[in-house]
Amino acid sequence: MAALIWIVLGTPIAGAALAGAFRRADWTRFVPLVAAVMIMGCGGVLIAVTRASGAVVAGSLLRVDTFSAWFLMAVGAVALIAIWGGTPTREQRREEGNQGGFWALMCAFLAAMTLALVADNLGLVWVAIEATTITTAFLVGYGRGRQSLEAAWKYVVLGSVGVAIAFLGIVLIYAASVAGGEPTLSWLALTRPGTVLTPAILKMGVGLAALGFATKAGLAPMHSWLPDAHSQAPAPVSGLMSGVLLAVALYAILRVQVIADRVLGPGLFRGLLIAAGLLSLLVTALLVLTQRDFKRLLAYSSIEHMGLMALAAAVGGRLALAALLLHVLGHGLVKASMFVAAGRIMHADATHDIGDVVGLLRRRPDLGIPFLAGGAALLCFPPFVTFFTEVAILIALAQGGLGWVAGAAVVLLLAVFAGLARHLLAMTMGGPDVPPSPATPARLRRTLPLALALGAAAVLGFVAMPLSGVLTDAVAALTGGR
Amino acid sequence: MNADLHSQLIALTTGVLLLTAVLQLWQRSVVGSIRLLVAQGLALGGLVAVTALEASEATGIVVAIVIAALKGGFLPWALARTARLTRVHDGLDPGARPALSLLLSVLLTTVAYVVSQPLVGSGTSPALKAVPVGVALVLLGFLILLTRRTAVSQLVGFLVLDNGIATVAFLTSGGLPITIEIGVLVDVLVVVLVLRVLTVRMRHLTGGTALTELRELHD
Amino acid sequence: MIVAVALVLQVVAAVALTPVLIGVMRQVRTRLEGRQGPGIGQPWRDVRKLLAKEPLQADGSSWVLWLAPALLVISSLVVVALIPMITTASLAPTPPDLFVVVSFLLIGTVALALLGVESGTAFGGMGSSRHMMIAALVEPTVLISVYALSIPAGSSSLASIIASRQDAVASVMSPAGLLAIVALFVVVLAECGRLPVDNPSTHLELTMVHEAMILESAGRDLAWLELGSWLRLTALLGLVVNLAVPWGIAPDAAPLALLIGLLAFSAKLIAAGAAIAAVEVFLAKIRLFRVPELLAGSFVMAFLAVTASYLVA
Repeated sequence: MAALIWIVLGTPIAGAALAGAFRRADWTRFVPLVAAVMIMGCGGVLIAVTRASGAVVAGSLLRVDTFSAWFLMAVGAVALIAIWGGTPTREQRREEGNQGGFWALMCAFLAAMTLALVADNLGLVWVAIEATTITTAFLVGYGRGRQSLEAAWKYVVLGSVGVAIAFLGIVLIYAASVAGGEPTLSWLALTRPGTVLTPAILKMGVGLAALGFATKAGLAPMHSWLPDAHSQAPAPVSGLMSGVLLAVALYAILRVQVIADRVLGPGLFRGLLIAAGLLSLLVTALLVLTQRDFKRLLAYSSIEHMGLMALAAAVGGRLALAALLLHVLGHGLVKASMFVAAGRIMHADATHDIGDVVGLLRRRPDLGIPFLAGGAALLCFPPFVTFFTEVAILIALAQGGLGWVAGAAVVLLLAVFAGLARHLLAMTMGGPDVPPSPATPARLRRTLPLALALGAAAVLGFVAMPLSGVLTDAVAALTGGR
Repeated sequence: MNADLHSQLIALTTGVLLLTAVLQLWQRSVVGSIRLLVAQGLALGGLVAVTALEASEATGIVVAIVIAALKGGFLPWALARTARLTRVHDGLDPGARPALSLLLSVLLTTVAYVVSQPLVGSGTSPALKAVPVGVALVLLGFLILLTRRTAVSQLVGFLVLDNGIATVAFLTSGGLPITIEIGVLVDVLVVVLVLRVLTVRMRHLTGGTALTELRELHD
Repeated sequence: MIVAVALVLQVVAAVALTPVLIGVMRQVRTRLEGRQGPGIGQPWRDVRKLLAKEPLQADGSSWVLWLAPALLVISSLVVVALIPMITTASLAPTPPDLFVVVSFLLIGTVALALLGVESGTAFGGMGSSRHMMIAALVEPTVLISVYALSIPAGSSSLASIIASRQDAVASVMSPAGLLAIVALFVVVLAECGRLPVDNPSTHLELTMVHEAMILESAGRDLAWLELGSWLRLTALLGLVVNLAVPWGIAPDAAPLALLIGLLAFSAKLIAAGAAIAAVEVFLAKIRLFRVPELLAGSFVMAFLAVTASYLVA
């Protein structure tokens, strides 16, 4: 059983070494795909295993329960879509040469995210999240121009400073556990009812840790690096970052929240997360209408969804947390396919601007249909899973006595809806009456990952019933400390 | 180690840490900042050694040597190389305002003392009493980060911030488990190296390392 | 009674020592610059010459012209009497409290500034405004650095601070003490118009701070002004050396102790003055807009001294 953890951790690391060693080879573009499939597969298996027989432990630092297994599966699935969809075509490969280094960095990125999810020790979680910043630094700055350099610099500096604050928080959590006689950073030990933690020090520690990880999760007011980084990065990188990296940071916040709630009561984190969530929604609502770059628009949409998920974490409880888990998977799949589609639009029309792209549905239906469908999913339209999760989160807020938060969220979400819909429709509808470009078999093959992702997102909401067992166990693993 | 010597040594090392951080704010040239960083790294290594000796841990001494070598030796050397590569070694940072920054540092040190009261608690242990120095270092590192406008100076601010966090870690709990420490050190090292590469690229693209040149992405 | 005699002796000794101190400083600098120099007794000869001359007063000048020099000298003499130089014994109603000393110094500062403005020339006003700016920036540092030194002693009386430092060797070498002494030292340089804040031997009016204010004075007035300024240097430098190296000072007013105290004090003072002069050869005057930087730095060091002494105490 512990072997599963080593497999899921070892595959991307081996992949990174392999792709790095054989940089010029053509087949390196399949390496991260294999890693992603392995992660998804092992994640699924681990869900079954942990549901049947409790958490899996490997060594003293690694531990996987149903909650982390769900996130692992989500990371694998989203990575599969992003990398598959973002694989360059034959012409692109001829233009830019083989990019073994790029794929090696992608594998390293996957490895870092996996480590963050399987680690039990909070310090190791921190190391892994900082490692994601490092591995994505050159991925974000992959372009040659000044803008990608600026994005990479801001990303690394702001990300590292934010994560450094989180480290100070973790240091203080460790110091808070000194009073109990045996200082520890193990999440399992910290959430055990018998562990003694000094409340005053713990308060400072978890507050700082939440602040630092919120920077990495793109929650306002620490979100300023996100639009730049996600808009300048290449399409598969943006898809992966928006899809799951933000969710992994939120995972870290959720783990810290359990520690805080046990000793300090739920009020502290509830307040912090509500403030962050509403502020994120506000920032998106204010800025989404004036966007001119469609990748930046998608980045702001990520901030909005992270805000929504923060509100779910704030209210806690079974309904909200189950909705959060589904939303992580659904949003990840949809965002990845949106970024992949956006990357292809950029390549086809050679522009970043929303204003320059019209009539996608008519001109290029293989791009327009996924883009519009994905956009509808981002706007939380039924039948996509995001509709069900958003409604569930709002219901949970109302049920938890935070009706005013739900009301404010609805107003802000409507504003975001208006802005996002306007841009989406401007890009896909209308346009000159030209015959559509032919749907070659190659094009259809390229649409496959997008179709799969969006199809899964559409179906997921209806599959939630049979999945409810899994979701309940995952939530119990988090809050029950199982 | 007897208590008096212990408290004297803690006072000495934390005093040097705070003094070098304040002098960083006074310093306008990049080369001077890097030299102060060397002193800070060595003082941090000394502090770790003192806490290790007090707790009678052998691994702690090794950690102290590694920290001193990394933060007092290798990282400043890497920064100095970057400064030389990007030809800022003879330049001053235009964003540095020494008089204002120094007065702000007084304010920030007071804030650090006030904020760290729950950490110090009612303890009489000299290590705990010196925790405000670590918090002050974090705040001063932030100030340096915010006020400087060239890449290498911002890096210096980031390293001061990191030194402050390490100080708090070692003073409050005698240090984190060794595997975590190593991971953290590696992370900081790689971040600095990454930023080095970006700085060199910045020089190629914009002809300098003034971050005010990179202002194109905004809403 | 004996204490009063001791204090009078202290004042007389200080007045006698002051021109010697200035002479030594000038001579050291001159010799290091490779010139012959006029000898150590020149300042005393200058003062004697000026005292014999008639002061010239311009038409339209007011009573400030003769009052300011008098105020400066009187305040300097009081400060010299208050600061423990030869002995730490003090007259009961007038303890050498820090705040009293600082207030008397300020009287002298303001008198000098008024004199500069009184002359009505551009240079005088310029000198006065620069002088007041420096004085304003220096005030907090003086108070805080002596406060830092007073924390271990538990009293703001300069005599008890020095006495307690005499007993505890460790506190003299402690980081807090060193920081406070360094900060005080920068203060002395600024307050008394030495390099790098002000060049006492400059002839360029636009670079003057102290000299500009006394530009229009002549004869007896100039003698008092020079003497008063030199006495301030003696007093402040004496305070710093006594705080840095507290041994040799007499604990009471016994004649033998007073003699030893006098000799020790003279030695310490002249040595410090010579060291300052030697360093001044290598320094350049910093530009005026960077003076607040330097003084802010010394303020921060004094503040750090306070925080450090709370840490260890």
